Amino acid sequence: MEALAERLRTVEPMAPSPAAKIRGWNLVSAAVQQSATVRSRGHSVKRLVLAALAAAVLLVGGAVAASADSLPDSALYPIKGVVEQVRGALAFSPSDQLTYHLELAQTRLTEAEAMIARHRLDLASQALSAMDDQLGDAAALVKAEKGTDPAIAADLENRLLQAIATHDGQLARLQGQVTNPAAQSAILKARDRAAQAVQVAQTSNNNGNPSPNGKGSGNASASPHPTPKH
Amino acid sequence: MRALGKAASDDDRPLIERVRRGDQDAARTLYERYFDRIYNYVYARLGRAEDAEDLAIDTMTRSLTRLDLFQDQGVAFSSWVYRIAHNATIDHYRRHGKVTLVPLDDATLPQSADPSELAMEQLSNEDLRLALRDLTDEQQQVLILRFFQDLTAAQVAGIMGKSVGAVQALQHRALGSLERALQGRVQHRALGSLERALQGRAEN
Repeated sequence: MEALAERLRTVEPMAPSPAAKIRGWNLVSAAVQQSATVRSRGHSVKRLVLAALAAAVLLVGGAVAASADSLPDSALYPIKGVVEQVRGALAFSPSDQLTYHLELAQTRLTEAEAMIARHRLDLASQALSAMDDQLGDAAALVKAEKGTDPAIAADLENRLLQAIATHDGQLARLQGQVTNPAAQSAILKARDRAAQAVQVAQTSNNNGNPSPNGKGSGNASASPHPTPKH
Repeated sequence: MRALGKAASDDDRPLIERVRRGDQDAARTLYERYFDRIYNYVYARLGRAEDAEDLAIDTMTRSLTRLDLFQDQGVAFSSWVYRIAHNATIDHYRRHGKVTLVPLDDATLPQSADPSELAMEQLSNEDLRLALRDLTDEQQQVLILRFFQDLTAAQVAGIMGKSVGAVQALQHRALGSLERALQGRVQHRALGSLERALQGRAEN
């Protein structure tokens, strides 16, 4: 068997014809060139896609960041609303939800002041209405929590009433500054709706009567309009 | 004397990187390094120069244009090229059929003659090539790679995806099968000569 193995080693290798070798190289060379071109194109497309993605991320990220301080008359304002909705979806505990509503109410009030300053009464009115919507949601949250955990509900109610008192103070000052009757009417309406939110928050979840829990509610609980309306 | 090109080595790596970048000179170097070997390998399997040329070209084209599929992790480029050639050969068999697929271990070849009596010097290269093609696919592969291509058992193991021990065992069985195949051919040829001699004597 070893002799056979040795004999096999002596078998002369078969060589391709020179013509076949040249033909082979021509075909291989063309294929390699084409392959390199395709690969290069592929890399270019990949780089382009990555660049586009990066630009999109930067654009969206920049727009979101820029929208944070945008006002209702800004093109970026709708983005601000989307971001706020996302934030709301991520607030799970009653405390976090109340914080969310109160922060948004404060934001809407600030926007209303800016719109009044720019004589955009339509947008100011919308902002004040949105502020009251947030206070109404916050009041409903407090009311619902009373049926679940009275201790937590008392804390939430206290925070809500303090916030409404602060807002009412701001609205009262604003009301004193504006001369436009429409603006004054919008502010007055907002203060009334805020006062209604106070009543809702102080209502017991069971019988609809004002909550006996008046402790720690500050002066806001004593009067819906702690500052004069004029 | 063998005239096959230099066996694959670590030298392939920088060339492969250059080919990936579209370097034609590097591709040419690898082509020159492997084309003859692959042609010889495929020819030994198929026995037809035209088919061997086509498959060798196809193998080199695939090897040098699909480098993205070649991961230089444990498998040498040479092993990869041989595997492509092997797969191309199998595809060729599927398309065109293979003459012999019966393992000679089980074939009814003459067993009476003493293998040691096989006169190696009387065997032509063509005898060896033809008898080789009577072997099973794996037996052909191991003998061609070990003895026609001068590869080590470890290199063949890398190409065939087997352990060195398995390759050595396969090689042993393959040589035994080849001996029996050659005996059958020698006996058949001897009988043919005898018949022709008797026929000539009768005519005289």
